[in-house]
Amino acid sequence: MSETILELKGVEKYFGDFVAVERINLSVKDGEFFTLVGPSGSGKTTMIRMLVGMDKPSRGDILMSGERVNDVPANRRPTCMVFQSLALFPHKSVGENIEFPLKLRGEAKHNRKTRAIELLEQLHLSESYYSKKVSECSGGERQRVALARALAFDPQILFFDEPLSALDYRLRKTLEKELKDIQRRTGKTFVYITHSLEEAMVMSDRIAIMRKGRIVQVGTPDEIYNNPANGFVAQFMGEVNEFRVSRKDSQWLEDTETGAQYPAPPDSPVDEGVLIVRPERIRLLSADEKADSTFEGVVEHQYVLGSRVQYQVRVKERALLVETMIGQPFGVGDSVSLGWDADQSVLMSE
Amino acid sequence: MDTPSSAFGSRASERAMRIWTLVVLAFIYLPMVAVVLASLSKIRFFMFPIKSWSLEWYGSVLGSIEIRDYLWTSVLIAALVTLISVLLAIAGALAFARYDWKGRTLYQKLILLPIFFPQAVLGLAILLWSSAWDIAPGWELAVFAHLVWIVPVVTLVISIQVYGFDPAVEEAAFDLGASRWQVFKEITLPILWPGIFSGALFAFLLSWGNFPLSTFTTGAEQTIPEWLYAKMVAGYTPQVPALGTLTTLLAGILLLGGYWLGTRGRKQ
Repeated sequence: MSETILELKGVEKYFGDFVAVERINLSVKDGEFFTLVGPSGSGKTTMIRMLVGMDKPSRGDILMSGERVNDVPANRRPTCMVFQSLALFPHKSVGENIEFPLKLRGEAKHNRKTRAIELLEQLHLSESYYSKKVSECSGGERQRVALARALAFDPQILFFDEPLSALDYRLRKTLEKELKDIQRRTGKTFVYITHSLEEAMVMSDRIAIMRKGRIVQVGTPDEIYNNPANGFVAQFMGEVNEFRVSRKDSQWLEDTETGAQYPAPPDSPVDEGVLIVRPERIRLLSADEKADSTFEGVVEHQYVLGSRVQYQVRVKERALLVETMIGQPFGVGDSVSLGWDADQSVLMSE
Repeated sequence: MDTPSSAFGSRASERAMRIWTLVVLAFIYLPMVAVVLASLSKIRFFMFPIKSWSLEWYGSVLGSIEIRDYLWTSVLIAALVTLISVLLAIAGALAFARYDWKGRTLYQKLILLPIFFPQAVLGLAILLWSSAWDIAPGWELAVFAHLVWIVPVVTLVISIQVYGFDPAVEEAAFDLGASRWQVFKEITLPILWPGIFSGALFAFLLSWGNFPLSTFTTGAEQTIPEWLYAKMVAGYTPQVPALGTLTTLLAGILLLGGYWLGTRGRKQ
């Protein structure tokens, strides 16, 4: 079992009257890829600034490998960060950028260069980049240089402040996978912050979701997806179908607006609240197929999302969102039957 | 170069633009050309057209011990003003453009005020204060007076450079283990260097050519502009335009040299 490398105990941060983060308790294990996700203003930037040592918590303790580091400044913590702007040194070459932390430690020029080139290669950049200027590098190359510089520091924990947010979709996807790969190979603890849950899902071992300065849920991508702690988390993943319901009996829930009946998720203690069904959990049924509940509807809209397709289906007063593989024999105006199984939905009391 | 005429412009308007540019350039440079011509006259008096030509006034300027003294005073003042103003302005520019602090907007306005103050009045005011405090005028007082006017200018020049740099770069260096001093030496200073360099150039040239502040504050000592003025008022010889031409040349070389160094530095 790996050990806890980072622990937050009752951490709070105020700026004057403004509460930026509140009652944060969290622990990150050694070698874990941990991601803090939240919309802007959720306090995740404040969090990471405290973790790297550029801000002090107003209350509570931050522990690294069991030691309290509240008052240890950033330059004496065994951690470093890849900045959102990357913060590459514009007056230094790619090589000098990567060597910077080694130079500070008084490493000989020759060793520094060897290490820098090693890191360049590890990040799929050829040796010729060593003497290039930062301004000659593309966005993706700069990402790699920033990561190489951080790895040269050899931190115990590596922090990331949304470094991929400025890149185009395709490049971002590539770098997400590379980042995960590097994390696995180096075995280092990565703590990443982002506003994109999708990005977090791809890379993380565990995710903490933040909202208004508090942590709403901590869990594996699987847990976050299948058992969102509340509507905020559920919607954070993308559009969902929501029904306001009250319990009819142990098996069935009733829609408080339309009176329609939905199967109750098994073992749910909730009697009144919101039933959430993800669009990809609803199936379009052929004549011989069955689900725990079945509805008839008409396709109103069709949105092609690459390899997947989303239908908006009108079922009486409600418009349901259904997502499935592309190539279905349905089009706008067609009648369809659809349904989902009880264990594919989540019921929460809000 | 063959520039395509714009959608609105015709050949005629393009020609008018060119002529206008030439007129402006002539307007700016004609007085200087007149000064150079005057310095080449053999006759002692200032008159056009020049009948006989000579370089002898240049010889007499370069040979004059008196002028060499003034030159030394000018260089001494300009060099000290450059050094001190740059040191003050680096800190000043960081306060101006980089750090958020209480009273910053007030400071940004106050620091600019001396630039708009009439220099002759500023010079007189400094002289009055110094005599009230029993400080004898001399080159030291002139350095102080120049600083009052030049530090704001240099602060502005360096501020422009400060505005153009991402503060996260300093944080990143600190985060990677650098001490405050290492951050300044390795990151802040080199990034600000182009601004510091042009600031220094400005400081030197503004001090070098300053008359109104020097005239009140140098006391018994004299700078080149003061000597030029004195000679023009009484006892004109073509030494005046000759020295004027030489100092202009020197300033030009300094500027071009600075420009060359600057662009070379950026290419590397």
